[in-house]
Amino acid sequence: MKPPRPEALLESRRILVCVGAGGVGKTTVSAALALEAARRGRRALVLTIDPARRLADALGLATLGGEPQEIARERLTSLGVPADGALFALMLDVKGTLDGLVERFAESEAARRRILENRIYAHVSDALAGSAEYSAMEKVYEISTREDFDLVVVDTPPSQHALDFLESPRRLLEFIDSRLVKLLLHPAFSAGRFGFRLFQRGAMRALQLLERVSGLGFLEDVSEFLLAFEGMAEGFRERARRVETLLLGPEAAFVLTAGAAGQSIHQGRALLARLEASGIPLSGVVMNRVRLWPGGGGPPDAVPPAGGEREAREALAAALAKSAQPGFPVGPAADAAIEAARRHAEVVRRQAGACEDLREHVARRGLFWRVVPELASDVHDLPALARIADLLFREPATEEPAP
Amino acid sequence: MTTERAILDHRLLVVTGKGGTGKTTVVAALAQAAAGRGRRVLVVETGRDEAVPRLLAPGSPPVGYEGREVQPGLTCMRVDPYAALSEYIGLQFGARVVADTVLRNRAFRQLMDAAPGWRELITLGKIWHLEQAERAPGDPRWDLLLVDAPATGHGITFLDVPRVVVSAVRAGPLRRHAGWVESMVRDPDATLLLPVALAEELPARETAELVARLREQVGIAVDRVVVNALTPPPLPDAVPDLVERLERLRPDAELGGLPAPPVLAACLRHACARAELNRHYLGEIQRSTGLPAIALPELPGGIAGPADLEPLGRLLLQEPAS
Repeated sequence: MKPPRPEALLESRRILVCVGAGGVGKTTVSAALALEAARRGRRALVLTIDPARRLADALGLATLGGEPQEIARERLTSLGVPADGALFALMLDVKGTLDGLVERFAESEAARRRILENRIYAHVSDALAGSAEYSAMEKVYEISTREDFDLVVVDTPPSQHALDFLESPRRLLEFIDSRLVKLLLHPAFSAGRFGFRLFQRGAMRALQLLERVSGLGFLEDVSEFLLAFEGMAEGFRERARRVETLLLGPEAAFVLTAGAAGQSIHQGRALLARLEASGIPLSGVVMNRVRLWPGGGGPPDAVPPAGGEREAREALAAALAKSAQPGFPVGPAADAAIEAARRHAEVVRRQAGACEDLREHVARRGLFWRVVPELASDVHDLPALARIADLLFREPATEEPAP
Repeated sequence: MTTERAILDHRLLVVTGKGGTGKTTVVAALAQAAAGRGRRVLVVETGRDEAVPRLLAPGSPPVGYEGREVQPGLTCMRVDPYAALSEYIGLQFGARVVADTVLRNRAFRQLMDAAPGWRELITLGKIWHLEQAERAPGDPRWDLLLVDAPATGHGITFLDVPRVVVSAVRAGPLRRHAGWVESMVRDPDATLLLPVALAEELPARETAELVARLREQVGIAVDRVVVNALTPPPLPDAVPDLVERLERLRPDAELGGLPAPPVLAACLRHACARAELNRHYLGEIQRSTGLPAIALPELPGGIAGPADLEPLGRLLLQEPAS
């Protein structure tokens, strides 16, 4: 079955997950997708999980809180968003989201305080890698339960961490169900007569080892932390399951953003392979910031033509001389123009070559493939985002392969 | 913060930056240049991918955790957190077999898969261990360790984990070892952080944030910024209006097999705009970080192998003018 075109995704899905390596412009593409959905009359939210405040920059917002912020109506109208469309942006507040979760699920006021004041929790929740993924998952779920938005575009953390985000619900479930966690939760029980029979010796040994490495007190803190969480476990489990169902279900779609420069194309291919291996249904690829040859088509094999360098230089110099006042340095001018075209052609050829594999793969799978040309300027305001949306949806540089 | 030390006088160079800035290229070029000057160099990759060996020795087999010499005097390795954990537990208890038994335990794996932070800590711990390694007493095994660290956001977390552990764990070997790692990271005579940026708006802003947070929070030395992939100014001073002149030529003029004048004009306009953008944000980066920059040119043909890294390596070894 042929997957839908990106236009159809924007109009019909409730969640669009944008994955991609760092630095490929994923945040920009996510924001442009949300803007385009708004232009199509939907209430769209773009949620960024990136620790850097890139979305705030791209949307020209001074601050992004843990709550969705609406982009001012008059700014949207000038970008072609109809009255029934709206655009919101949200930057993930990692610690705030986790604290909110504790507030909601803690069994009692005492349990709530015990968790929030636990040394391990304090550090896990705001400092350590991985917590962003857990809270992102939580936020996506929370927002999906509200009726405020027709579409949520999720900008995931870069590359290696993109899949951490997708895998975090499953990992969380496994964690809650793991024997070691149970062992930590009920140390007295497990050390008793029944415990040794019930639990693997290996797990027990692993725990003893952890205690020796980490030093006295650390596991105690961890155990206390987990114990405090125990009451929340059922709520957690239910959430994690729902998030997984949601993300892999018919209401969600995945879009890969890739770049053509340097290592980006390697990373894009690797990510695509991992998505497929994990059974995550990808809808298509946005190739961002691709240098194109002016006027379409490909560049000539060589600029200037091989063997005809001198003639080419003289022809251009002569053409420039016709309209130039005496003394104008036609030679250096011709050299500069030829050098710029030579470099441009080289970049176009290299990028096209680098994309070929990925493009063929995408065509074989029948996924969509859209190209955003490299612009000469930065994308850091709403009109520039609208320009990206235009390039993606109104004047695409490449159509998807024929069905 | 300026340490007045030449770049190769450090034992440990940690390279970070926003994704797509060419971090890996900088690591590879610097490693090759240092090895060319007789240094025993070890490149440590922290991701899942072995991107540095791909540049230094295209087509060669994976280097893995054990590492492999890919050029004379230049070894590459990739730190797999589980391999490092196994080695650590083995060293702590004198028996790697025990470590492997524990690590193969499914319950333990589940716990570790879900636990945050330890990957960063064990990776830095391994780097500390490599930094300490000696061939003979007083003769370090490596003159220079070059770390291809995670990209910006996670790069800060990466370097900050030892500090967090020291403040979160009350006592014991974990705290002690994290303390050693933290001291290494904060030693300005040994360790230098090298941020890699692009001269565009978002990467420039992010670099300023990165440098500020690293200084305040992590306390690692930073004394220069590498600004990569700069488009050189395409126009000689005498012909500022060349784009317009090309546009005024007959669009179908035959120019000895060159692309038509409108195409030439478009290429030149693009190059001028990119060069101007780069010039502006190169200045912005220097201003906002207060650091001198090492400027690397864009290579239109990309980097196919070691030969393409040579000129970049030479530029990276030059001390920046402040």
